[in-house]
Amino acid sequence: MRTFFSATFAVLLLLCVVAWKIQPPPPGGSRTTLTWSTDNNPTRQEQVALFNKLNPDLYLMIDPNNTDQQKVIVQAIGGVGPDVFDTFGQASLEAYVRAGVAWDITEAMTEAGIEIPKIIWPVAVPSCVYKERYYGFPCNVNANAMWFNKDIFDKAGVPYPKPGWSWDDLIRIAKQLTVKGRDGKIQQFGLYFGWTNWGDRNDLLYQFGARIFNDDGTRCEIGSPEAIEAMQLSQDLMYKHRVTPSPIDEAALSTQGGWGSGGITYLMGGRVAMAYGGRWWLNLIRKEKPDLNLGVVEMPYAKVPSLAGGARCALVNRNSPKREAALRFIKYLASPEYNQLLNDQADALAPVMASAYTERFLHNPEWPKEDYNEVWREVVRKARPDELSPFLRGGEMSAISTQFDLIKSNLKAPAAALRDAERAGNDRILRNARLRPALNKLYLELTGSKP
Amino acid sequence: MKKLNPKERRNLMIGLSFLLPNLVGFLLFTLGPVAFSFGASFTNWDLTGIEPLQYIGIDNFANMFSDSQFWLYFVNTLYFLIGLPLAIFGSLGAALLLHQKVKGQVVYRTLLYLPSVTSGVAVMILWKALYNPDWGAVNQILESVARAFGHPEFRGPSWLLSTQNALALGVEKVGVVPNQWGIGAREALIFMGLWGAIGGGNTLLYLAALGNVPQELTEAAEMDGASRFRIFRNVTWPQLAPTTFFIIVMGFIGGLQGGFEQARVMTLGGPAGTTTTLAYYIYNKAFVEYQMGYACAVSLVLFGLIFAVTLVNWKFGNKEVSY
Repeated sequence: MRTFFSATFAVLLLLCVVAWKIQPPPPGGSRTTLTWSTDNNPTRQEQVALFNKLNPDLYLMIDPNNTDQQKVIVQAIGGVGPDVFDTFGQASLEAYVRAGVAWDITEAMTEAGIEIPKIIWPVAVPSCVYKERYYGFPCNVNANAMWFNKDIFDKAGVPYPKPGWSWDDLIRIAKQLTVKGRDGKIQQFGLYFGWTNWGDRNDLLYQFGARIFNDDGTRCEIGSPEAIEAMQLSQDLMYKHRVTPSPIDEAALSTQGGWGSGGITYLMGGRVAMAYGGRWWLNLIRKEKPDLNLGVVEMPYAKVPSLAGGARCALVNRNSPKREAALRFIKYLASPEYNQLLNDQADALAPVMASAYTERFLHNPEWPKEDYNEVWREVVRKARPDELSPFLRGGEMSAISTQFDLIKSNLKAPAAALRDAERAGNDRILRNARLRPALNKLYLELTGSKP
Repeated sequence: MKKLNPKERRNLMIGLSFLLPNLVGFLLFTLGPVAFSFGASFTNWDLTGIEPLQYIGIDNFANMFSDSQFWLYFVNTLYFLIGLPLAIFGSLGAALLLHQKVKGQVVYRTLLYLPSVTSGVAVMILWKALYNPDWGAVNQILESVARAFGHPEFRGPSWLLSTQNALALGVEKVGVVPNQWGIGAREALIFMGLWGAIGGGNTLLYLAALGNVPQELTEAAEMDGASRFRIFRNVTWPQLAPTTFFIIVMGFIGGLQGGFEQARVMTLGGPAGTTTTLAYYIYNKAFVEYQMGYACAVSLVLFGLIFAVTLVNWKFGNKEVSY
């Protein structure tokens, strides 16, 4: 028996040695390998290829399997994290900074002559600058506008929407373009709006002048008359005017068109005439439906021309032994080469503002039908970051989201739902401020009173 | 205590050395994390680092018990246990059928076991499509049947999109709300679970137990003129008691820990939190909100609940096991 176990152990050991010997060489050869934890898609591959071409001594590779924030934090603290990782928004940046994994690159960037807040879109600044210190650089910046399918408009003889249109105009047009089938079910909706998407919904709230939180985030104000008016409109579009799909309609649409689900797929499948989305949709449209005849217009603004925007930023892992090399990737994001590539790819908008003020951006000769790039530039310029409360984290918004679910499912009137959402939000803010010493102190500083 | 001689001591050491890898693994990867989690539940441990780590006594528990969301998810977790007796009887029925000596028995057994060997996520995606209220197969069948019985106006439930449920539980606080009565996401997940449970390990356990029922008992009952139902009730069923007890205990444990995959893949805990169970709540608290201390406290409560239920099962269920 002893011989058997010894022999088995020896064979396993030998196999380990063999496996170690025959392992393939690192993909970058002798170059320094950098890992970027981000999603993998064709545009990202091109962005990486350009970086590798411009930096022959470095080899950047993508790790799409470890992009979750908790994974990045745990791995970075453990010394095995990516060299560069993505972050979305102010709350996420703050979490990385506080966890000690985001490297402060203020001095390095200043020395390189890159004053981040001055050159990037204002909406992206909170995603990479925290307490006036620089921690990263945006990879791309996004804000939404209204896509419309020109062929559907032409077929119905409806004029295209024009800037400055109103919600009444939109409802009238959407009704004209909503088509029922023989079975009485709606086959084509006039409008698609991502009600489940927190950002899209906030766009509607902001343009009615509604607030989610007050300026310092110590109070939730989602129960205001402005917010109720905005959400009433959203409910009416689904259940009164029947021009945009309810959750059940959306489930029905999701595979009938053969395009999966979501606004982009409904638009490509001809299931909606207008859809609210970003420029990055072109990534898929160019590939899947290059002949689609599309236009873009800003969404109608009820009271204030205001909408939310966001940025995906790249940060350097403070604990990475290759952080100096990783810094070169951050500088690459500020380069004209990267910004032009990104604008050409239509992976939303490039981070450097100046890159969008060129003739090439407005009229890319490779995509002559895309004559609406000025609209994207305008919405990103107007966009503002989402409202946050330092007393609530993303996940804790579920008490509020539940009420939005009830509005969306037509189970509750917006007035009652939003009043309850406001109460739930404020209860949570006060509870967190009472229970957590740091938040307690912050609340006292901001309001002058104990929570 | 008997003193060991050198040979016995050597044998003991050899035995222990064989146990050591398992023991070390258990200590490092099971008992260690459990103990750590127990300690962490009394702290404000937070992955974002907003607060310095400190002992906060029972604050997490006080916070949890005063949170209406926790109680909603607690009720959701218990609600899903409704499927347990149905799953037990379903798997027993399937086992009885498969126990018959018919041609192609192996094929039937293999087919029925398919849910257990199919990838859970793939099955859930398939069920999601089956439950589509508009074009899903489930509603298509229901509506066809309704049409055949002269009710063309009948529309099937909204399944995963509906907050309605068979007990008319409200979505915002624990209580009965009459307009919530119906069939919704919770029932959809229970039915799907039934399908998996009937064609799963429980059926196999019953099948094995049926094979162990002494033939002479059945034959004696037959000779005494007992009907098939009486034979099942008075001979077979009592012989299956240990298996049933095991399945009940494991079913409660699995049921109370369950709901994560379904919520993650099919519903994201919605609509309006109606399919969020304690397991999914723990995940959200730990890995979405990064409140590790709080998540550990919920885990501890869930552990206590499972432990209590198992004790009750053991105390009362054991009495019914006479074989």
